[in-house]
Amino acid sequence: MAGGAARAGMVLRAVAALAAPAGAADAAYGEYLAAECSTCHLRSGDFKGIPSIVGLPEADFIAALRAYRDRSRENVVMQTIAKSLSDADMAALAAYYHRLGTKR
Amino acid sequence: MTLNRRTFTTGVLAGAGALAAGFPRFSIAQAKAKVVVIGGGAGGATAARYIARDLAEKIEVTLVEPSRAFTTCFFSNLYVGGFRSFDSITHTYAKVGAGGVALAHDMASAIDRAKREVTLAGGQRLAYDRLVVSPGIDLKWDSVPGWSEAAAAVMPHAWTPGAQTRLLRAKLDAVKDGETIVMTVPNNPYRCPPGPYERVSMFAWQLKSTGRTKTKIVVIDAKAAFSKQAVFQEGWEKHYPGMVVWMDPKMHGGLKAVDPAAMTVTTDLETIKAGMVNVIPAQWAGKIARDAGLANESGYCPINPESMASTVDPNVFVIGDACVPGDMPKSAFSANSQAKVAALAVRGALAGQQVFPARYANTCWSLIAAGDDIKIGGRYEAKDGKITALDTFVSKPGEEAALRMQNYEESLGWYAGITADMFG
Ligand SMILES: Cc1cc2nc3c(=O)[nH]c(=O)nc-3n(C[C@H](O)[C@H](O)[C@H](O)COP(=O)(O)OP(=O)(O)OC[C@H]3O[C@@H](n4cnc5c(N)ncnc54)[C@H](O)[C@@H]3O)c2cc1C
Repeated sequence: MAGGAARAGMVLRAVAALAAPAGAADAAYGEYLAAECSTCHLRSGDFKGIPSIVGLPEADFIAALRAYRDRSRENVVMQTIAKSLSDADMAALAAYYHRLGTKR
Repeated sequence: MTLNRRTFTTGVLAGAGALAAGFPRFSIAQAKAKVVVIGGGAGGATAARYIARDLAEKIEVTLVEPSRAFTTCFFSNLYVGGFRSFDSITHTYAKVGAGGVALAHDMASAIDRAKREVTLAGGQRLAYDRLVVSPGIDLKWDSVPGWSEAAAAVMPHAWTPGAQTRLLRAKLDAVKDGETIVMTVPNNPYRCPPGPYERVSMFAWQLKSTGRTKTKIVVIDAKAAFSKQAVFQEGWEKHYPGMVVWMDPKMHGGLKAVDPAAMTVTTDLETIKAGMVNVIPAQWAGKIARDAGLANESGYCPINPESMASTVDPNVFVIGDACVPGDMPKSAFSANSQAKVAALAVRGALAGQQVFPARYANTCWSLIAAGDDIKIGGRYEAKDGKITALDTFVSKPGEEAALRMQNYEESLGWYAGITADMFG
């Protein structure tokens, strides 16, 4: 199960590398997408009414976004955001927020 | 620094532009690009921080804002309702300054777009390569007959934050049970479409909490319909039965005048003697933006939806309430979202950062009563020459209490998030 999710994460990262503009742009792409998240999700990782997404395991991060996208998880704000994200976008975001967690 | 194709191209283009304009700004190697941001609110504070982030050696960002402490309009209704302290909605710029943004605590008095220079009230001149303009709205003092800037001391607007918000609360506290409160609401577009109705809810909450349920709140609206109307009206009937009387233009026939001395509001239908009057006047872009020729006949500034650059000057970005935002409402959330699009465009132009397609989002939460919070929002992209709504949502009548409570929690999280995004 966990291995499968991790593999899926790797595949998605590979997809991200292909879909997003090449190379170091990966980090820039994650940062660009993440700017939208930080209006609500604190970059400090604190919880003040909206769950922290900093430092989450990438597979969990992606699974949550996919659940919002297919509407199996409730929350109309997140469903609307997730609808606009491709698998590659989700992987780039997961990698960005994972890194942000290790930086702190 | 490695010279790659992008920075090289940017340098050449910027150099050519600078020469053409007669200002060889980039002729000195390593000279930092200059960005000036006017207005330290939802749009400007966000833009300044996002432009400066990790680029201190390439871009010098100066934020021009007269106030040293910024009280947010968002959540000011919750202060009026007694859910937030005034301190908790007031923020300083200490961390903005610490984050590599130079602070100029002054009013910008003029923009010279040909010279690319901003003059401050104190006389200081700031040259810029790119300018971000986020001055918010100005009130149209003459839009309600009988009302004026002086009259706002008697009939507050509280549509720009700070002292007016406190005055509004003091006036509310002084209303005697059975006296009438009148609120006048302008036509679209104006700052925060659901704001007046959240405020009505917070008035009613205060009145009910203090046993003043014989007081009626009469809303004289210039519009026939309003944001989140179905859920607001359902909430008013549920929590404050009979206390809120909302009148559309067909019912009141038009707002004729207010009289601050007599404390009356006159419509085509009647003259109402009030214990308190909250005039929300018509609005337009902050003066500095209009004076610089950035606004069109609507009083707001048209922008390019791909970048938030002004349609009249590609070196100037107009964000927040002062711009023509297409399908987006004038909200702090929108201003914050637009700021990030502008910031990326500026970083692309001045530091060679890769620029990606503009993404915009907005959600506006409104509190009706303790634990009963509703929301409206959507996501937007540059399309058909404007910022266009792609997916939108709005709370529905009859929703469960648990969902409304969750909305409230979420709104608290959003407030913490956006203010951290703005002020650090
Ligand atoms: C009652 C109320 C409730 C609201 N609730 C919400 C809400 O729940 N959610 C939401 O998203 N939005 C809400 N809003 C809307 C929100 O406050 C605005 O949309 C937002 O502040 C706009 O940001 P801005 O940067 O355009 O302007 P502002 O935040 O107003 O910032 C403009 C700044 O520019 C400065 N300035 C102006 N002229 C100059 C000059 N010449 N030189 C230097 N500085 C200058 C001003 O001092 C000010 O600090 C609410 C508004 C009101 C009135």
